[in-house]
Amino acid sequence: MKFFTDREICYADILPPSEVRARIEVAVLNFLKILTCADPAISDLLLINRKSSNRRVSQGLLTDDDTWIFLSRSFCKRSLIRANAAKAFIRVWKVMEMCFKILLQEKRVTQRELFYKLLCVSPDCFSSQLQVNRTIQALLRCSRFSLGIMASSRGIVAGRLLVQEPDKEMVDCSECGSSGYAISGDLNLLDRLVMKTDARYIIIVEKHAIFQRLAEDRVFNHIPIILITARGYPDIATRFLLHRMSRTFPELPIMALVDWNPAGLAILCTFKFGSIGMGLEAYRYACNVKWLGLRGDDLQLIPEESFVSLKPRDLQIAKSLMSSETLQEKHREELALMVQSGKRAEIEALYFHGYDYLGKYIAKKIVQANYI
Amino acid sequence: MHPSVFSEQTVVDRAISDICILLQCSRHNLNVVSVGKGLVMGWLQFLEAGRKFDCISSPTTAYTIPVHVEEVKDIVSVAKYILIVEKESVFQRLANDKFCNANRCIVITGRGYPDIPTRRFLRLLVEKLCLPVYCLVDCDPYGFDILTTYRFGSMQMAYDAKILRVPEVQWLGVFPSDFEKYDLPQQCLLPLTAEDKRRTETLLLRCYLQKEVPEWRLELELMLQKGVKFEIEAFSVHTLSFLSDQYIPSKIQEVEVLPGNKI
Repeated sequence: MKFFTDREICYADILPPSEVRARIEVAVLNFLKILTCADPAISDLLLINRKSSNRRVSQGLLTDDDTWIFLSRSFCKRSLIRANAAKAFIRVWKVMEMCFKILLQEKRVTQRELFYKLLCVSPDCFSSQLQVNRTIQALLRCSRFSLGIMASSRGIVAGRLLVQEPDKEMVDCSECGSSGYAISGDLNLLDRLVMKTDARYIIIVEKHAIFQRLAEDRVFNHIPIILITARGYPDIATRFLLHRMSRTFPELPIMALVDWNPAGLAILCTFKFGSIGMGLEAYRYACNVKWLGLRGDDLQLIPEESFVSLKPRDLQIAKSLMSSETLQEKHREELALMVQSGKRAEIEALYFHGYDYLGKYIAKKIVQANYI
Repeated sequence: MHPSVFSEQTVVDRAISDICILLQCSRHNLNVVSVGKGLVMGWLQFLEAGRKFDCISSPTTAYTIPVHVEEVKDIVSVAKYILIVEKESVFQRLANDKFCNANRCIVITGRGYPDIPTRRFLRLLVEKLCLPVYCLVDCDPYGFDILTTYRFGSMQMAYDAKILRVPEVQWLGVFPSDFEKYDLPQQCLLPLTAEDKRRTETLLLRCYLQKEVPEWRLELELMLQKGVKFEIEAFSVHTLSFLSDQYIPSKIQEVEVLPGNKI
């Protein structure tokens, strides 16, 4: 338990374009200063290391609920001196230049468009989309969105929530039909959303099909809930909105409904702690998420034939989850049970009891406070 | 419930298709629905199951295409045409450039291969509004395949083609000839992989390329002959808004001014 973990955090800020441009200008000036001083040198670029060795965990002081992952101050150098890394060094500068120009125009760009622009301007440096993506990450310690990169969101919300975008009409998410309210990829917009609710719980749903089923059955008219899904692995915007909801409505517990397999638990953990992949932005959006289902004690509800064996990929995910020190004790036990039984099951298996069974299942579990 | 008979999802999917053919109905008649994938924005207003979709009040906001297309009614529009785009990123680009503010149209995307609700919705719009439909895809075999899916229907769901196809779809771009016309740098051209070439050759064998759209065949052959492909995003090398400000409006003007230029 460290008291000064704050000092170790490297976080990405959401900045307005003028600030980002200022940071780029500072980087350029620093570089030139070292180049033109009495003892000239080409300074190295220090980028935050996005490897697991640089991952730190902040344990909540009082409870387990405030744990999150962040990247610490371990840097990896991009240097012009090392021959094979020289191109990587140049790429970072090129991307900075391009982002600067785009921000000046006050426009946004998709990663693919950025690739084409860089390809045409500097064909010797860039040959693949992957290189562009890697270079963008951890640049200037601000979020990708601040750099002007457009991202879409896969997230949707339904249920007992009223949202209002600035200068627009109030949208009632319970009237949005089975397709729900689409979460915008624009984090600035999400930040300015006005939200009101009379729900008592927030439920994260792993899969789109389940979300659609629950929304269509208007489950939120029977139980006071807000449904949210990222349709698989969560994206930044969905996590951002969930985080905002948890801050705006702190008394609402957040629960996850995932398949009974390591990947489902991994998705829960990403909402809960963040991930290294998202690196600098992870810590901001961590929420206290509890595991509603499917869990070990639900297995009796599932017919034997619905179980499928775990694949090698599942076991890999399980292994990496086990080795993470953030995993709660009870979640760890569940994971061990999964691996031991060698089986997995999907939420749809519950339809065996009827198509409206899922709503009843959720209601029962909530009433019994059966979540960990 | 019957794992010995149904071992995988694909088995069930095939069975559903067989039933549809047997009963001569569509999937949605059997109450089999998929999750919704498509997006729409622009000068359109409609009701679905009591919920109002008012795209006109904010023409640059994207709305999800409703899954239950049979419940869509009271369609109102002041658009002059419907634009289909293949990819979500292009849709985003148009939204970001506020394309619909300057152009009175409806923009739809199926985010790749269109799902059934998207195709049915498109068909409904065309029937009710009688507007021209233009399709914008990448200049590669996948783009072309998506274009033909909108226009002629897909191979897997051939039995449903009458309801799902939209013969009014016209190919707006991107053509192999646009490369020189719009002065794109050489680096934007990507070589066709072996897989791409195989796909293109398979596409060329499709029957409708002989009879109904022989002009499309020429463009596809040109692509194969040159051995290169390129994506819509390549246009951003001039300016980010080149697509919205210049390419699309000029292409539409070409089609409108010379109706014989229909492709």
